[in-house]
Amino acid sequence: MKRSTSKKVSLAAALVTGVALTSAPWIADAHHSAARFDLSIRDNYVTGIVKEFHAANPHTKIVLEVTDKKGTRDIEYEGHSLNNYYRAGWRDGLIKVGDKITLQVGPTKDGSDGGYALGVTAADGTKF
Amino acid sequence: MLWGRFMDKATSKATIRAAGLALSAALLASGALAAERPDFTGVWGTYREPGAAGPQRGGGGGPQQPALPLKPEAKAKVDAYRAAVAPSGDTPGGFCLGTGMPGSMLGSGGYPMEIVQHDDLLVVVYEAHTEVRHIYITARAKEGDLFPDRNGYSVGRWDGDKLIVETTHLKEAVDQGRYPHSDEAKIVEEYHLTTTDNGGKVLTANMTLTDPKFYTEPIKAEKKWQFLPGTRLLPYECNEPTWEEHLEQLRSQNAGAKKGS
Repeated sequence: MKRSTSKKVSLAAALVTGVALTSAPWIADAHHSAARFDLSIRDNYVTGIVKEFHAANPHTKIVLEVTDKKGTRDIEYEGHSLNNYYRAGWRDGLIKVGDKITLQVGPTKDGSDGGYALGVTAADGTKF
Repeated sequence: MLWGRFMDKATSKATIRAAGLALSAALLASGALAAERPDFTGVWGTYREPGAAGPQRGGGGGPQQPALPLKPEAKAKVDAYRAAVAPSGDTPGGFCLGTGMPGSMLGSGGYPMEIVQHDDLLVVVYEAHTEVRHIYITARAKEGDLFPDRNGYSVGRWDGDKLIVETTHLKEAVDQGRYPHSDEAKIVEEYHLTTTDNGGKVLTANMTLTDPKFYTEPIKAEKKWQFLPGTRLLPYECNEPTWEEHLEQLRSQNAGAKKGS
């Protein structure tokens, strides 16, 4: 594994949302670090337009075009593993480029753009 | 002469009868033993008591792990590893590396596992990183053919309805989340099946880790799994994004080279 990619992957975190636990209480409680993110914050939501969505292991990558008081820009978020998303209700094709979706985000501890997607509300209202 | 023939026949009949009885007894015994053996085949997930809260990460929750009885040199190694990864939170799993023992048998990151049980072999597949353990009941590898591995080499035997698994040939693993160990570690798991009030099957594993190089005393832990009927284990490709990124870089390089030529 190339270092640049490894670093990006390893910095990611995985954990289970309340939504996921409700649907499958035995689902993975994750084995990756969440060191970069403040996961105690559970009421932080971000809405944006999907630029990229890669359901993958160990972590999913979501890039949203977000507009807020800082302006409009693309922000990359990390999320649960593909396997956890699947068990929480995600299915292939549910999230498409151009969709307007909302993420429940554990923000970065240093306040920079990005965060950990604890939960997702898809364009059709599906939550996982 | 006649008496002798009679005696020969009588002895032969007695011998045959005795052999037949012994064979029947053996068959009955093996049948009884087989009947005692529970079937662990199926997909299992981490057991949670009814109404128990699910896992929460990042909120400071979860039980505090008691201090491990590490020997000073081992503690120094483990502390150095943990200090190295603390700033980034890096983990083997984040680098697409399987958990290894005993982390795999103690939960494998919370993902489910599948057991396929044969008379002579049990195959355990942990979904996370598609880690596989083989537990050999009869066929054993020669000592000289074994080499250290993160999950080691496991042999098993049935003790009534309990499966006893002994794992050796482990690599030193300071990166084990809960129980780091040396290459001299030996892990014994004892599995038994119970049924809950609502009829669900629970597989309990009691683990004893003995490691004179790292620990002053054996480590004991318990893990419970619940049967998940109708659940399938999912594939867990982990290096795919890395490969795709690498491929993209190769394509860019080739495109650049063509432009330059």
